[in-house]
Amino acid sequence: MRRGRAGAWLVLVVVFVYYLVPMIAMTRFAFQRIPVIKLSFGNLFDKWTIAPLIETFKEPEFRSSASLSVQLAIATAALTLILLVPTMAVAHLRSKRMRRMIELSSTLPFVVPAIALVVGFAGAFRETLPMFIRSPFGLVPLYVITALPFTHRALENGLAALDLRTLVDASQSLGATWYRTVVFVIVPNIRASIATAAFLALTVVLGEFTIASLLLKNTLPLYLSYSQGQNPQGSFAVGLVLILISTIFVASSNRLGKVVRS
Amino acid sequence: MTGKVAFSNVSKSFGAVKALVEFSLSIDEGELLTLLGPSGCGKSTALRVAAGFETPDSGDVSIGGTSILSLPANKRGIGMVFQNYSLFPHLTVTQNLEFGMRVRNISRDKRSARVGELLELVRLSGLSDRYPHQISGGQQQRVALARALAVEPRVLLLDEPLSSLDATVRIEVREEIRRIQRASGIATIFVTHDQEEALAISDRICVMSIGRIEQVGAPDVVYRSPATEFVARFVGKVNDIEIEVLSSTKARLHGHSQEIEIASAGKNAGLGAARLLIRPEDVQIVRPDSARPNVRGTVKTINFGGATTTADVEISGTGHLVRVADSTRNMRYRVGDSVHIAFDTERALLARGGA
Ligand SMILES: Nc1ncnc2c1ncn2[C@@H]1O[C@H](COP(=O)(O)OP(=O)(O)OP(=O)(O)O)[C@@H](O)[C@H]1O
Ligand SMILES: [Mg+2]
Repeated sequence: MRRGRAGAWLVLVVVFVYYLVPMIAMTRFAFQRIPVIKLSFGNLFDKWTIAPLIETFKEPEFRSSASLSVQLAIATAALTLILLVPTMAVAHLRSKRMRRMIELSSTLPFVVPAIALVVGFAGAFRETLPMFIRSPFGLVPLYVITALPFTHRALENGLAALDLRTLVDASQSLGATWYRTVVFVIVPNIRASIATAAFLALTVVLGEFTIASLLLKNTLPLYLSYSQGQNPQGSFAVGLVLILISTIFVASSNRLGKVVRS
Repeated sequence: MTGKVAFSNVSKSFGAVKALVEFSLSIDEGELLTLLGPSGCGKSTALRVAAGFETPDSGDVSIGGTSILSLPANKRGIGMVFQNYSLFPHLTVTQNLEFGMRVRNISRDKRSARVGELLELVRLSGLSDRYPHQISGGQQQRVALARALAVEPRVLLLDEPLSSLDATVRIEVREEIRRIQRASGIATIFVTHDQEEALAISDRICVMSIGRIEQVGAPDVVYRSPATEFVARFVGKVNDIEIEVLSSTKARLHGHSQEIEIASAGKNAGLGAARLLIRPEDVQIVRPDSARPNVRGTVKTINFGGATTTADVEISGTGHLVRVADSTRNMRYRVGDSVHIAFDTERALLARGGA
């Protein structure tokens, strides 16, 4: 018992160090006005500044790519919920087999590499719907798929915790249409899962690189990657802010889940 | 507004399972009819077909003479209370009661007036702002009943509304349901697999077994004159005694020389091995010199049950146990006493075949 505990602590400390040391290094590199080779324990508290972040925020390229990424993230979260909530609710009500099929296809992004997805997507739409590939919003369906393993799991947990059959029957016997039932009965009862799914979708989009890069869209991760050459401090600073935002998203979705459950 | 509900020849299968077979039944205005039967016999399916949650394979369901099968579930004007707790967990008691009225765009003033009435009807006025998880199971089911009544349905369907409640709460809520149903006069179908509950609450009982109706009748009729062996066994307790039928009026206990009368029970019985299904209260302990044909036996156990007491008597020579029920005042025997019992076969049933 004791030994197991000690082992667990050791693992925790190793993991903590493994993640935290690079983060600290990144933070110091981004926010201290000291050449990187001179960084040491001695000057840990010297010359801190947020100027690199502010300068980057002023750049038009940054602004356009950040604004695109935020729009894509919101569109992805919205499309995910609009598609997934009613579909999964129906699957829960109608058939176990449909549920299992959705579950299986939600894990496809783990199996199919992003490059294959893009090649297939581009091949299918280059001739038929070139608009779709030219517009940056062509990324949204791909992002919906990429985020599916996470968003599906979040919603699945919420739906499984409900006696959906009885609630839906009760709602309909009281005169409600399917639309009304989804909006006023199902959604409010899985709101924590919906928030979690939305946050996870946002996080995935804000960090996605491969697909955007292959389709030549200037999203925030691409900007960060390209600007590393000219503005390394700024791009690390923005990267840290992104990590912070993602962490807040994930943490608040966990909290939400707990609050609603209790 | 309410009307007679009628099922005519409704059949419904799920794959190979025949949940309802040519099911025909009508429920009068203001009547409370109970569907009684073992688990899986199709009670819920009958309700779900009426409510519009299942489409029958054939047959029709009508209210007030008009078929309702073409209407979707949300247009049928049927109130339903479910076995599982079905209140919307994210809404307060008041908001739950208002749900159906909001769907119908009933004005705010009318809604709150009606909510007040309903809460008074189910005696829960103090709980209007609680959430479902903050009230007891019995209270939840009463709110569910009020919610179903809120939209003034033409028919009320109650699918085992008491089965998740404790025994004492169950009796309390069932009396509440009966009172409210009488007061509102809405045709009601109540589903249960508890025969005691069915006998207590119903105007009429419909006993079902695997998709079919065995008997429909008032509780006393179903209890006293079961139409089939299934009904006799399912509703109340019954002795199952092996006999040999000698003629249309006479039979003999299996392995025993004593003849007994089977005048009314034996109407349709052929000669030979059969079983007599007879209720404990139709078997009496009599004096040895009684004019009625009787057999000797030994009291094996006595179960004191308040107003009535039952005794298991082993018939001498055959070893067969027969349960006898009588008012406690008349039962003055002890375990081991030698007694004589007589069979009052007026309401007994004969079943074919030796056990
Ligand atoms: N949606 C369904 N899919 C497949 N089979 C079903 C479905 N609904 C009911 N059945 C089957 O139909 C039969 C009748 O079911 P039903 O629910 O009507 O029984 P019940 O009398 O209400 O039983 P209980 O007392 O257990 O509630 C059962 O054999 C059941 O397994
Ligand atoms: Mg049932």
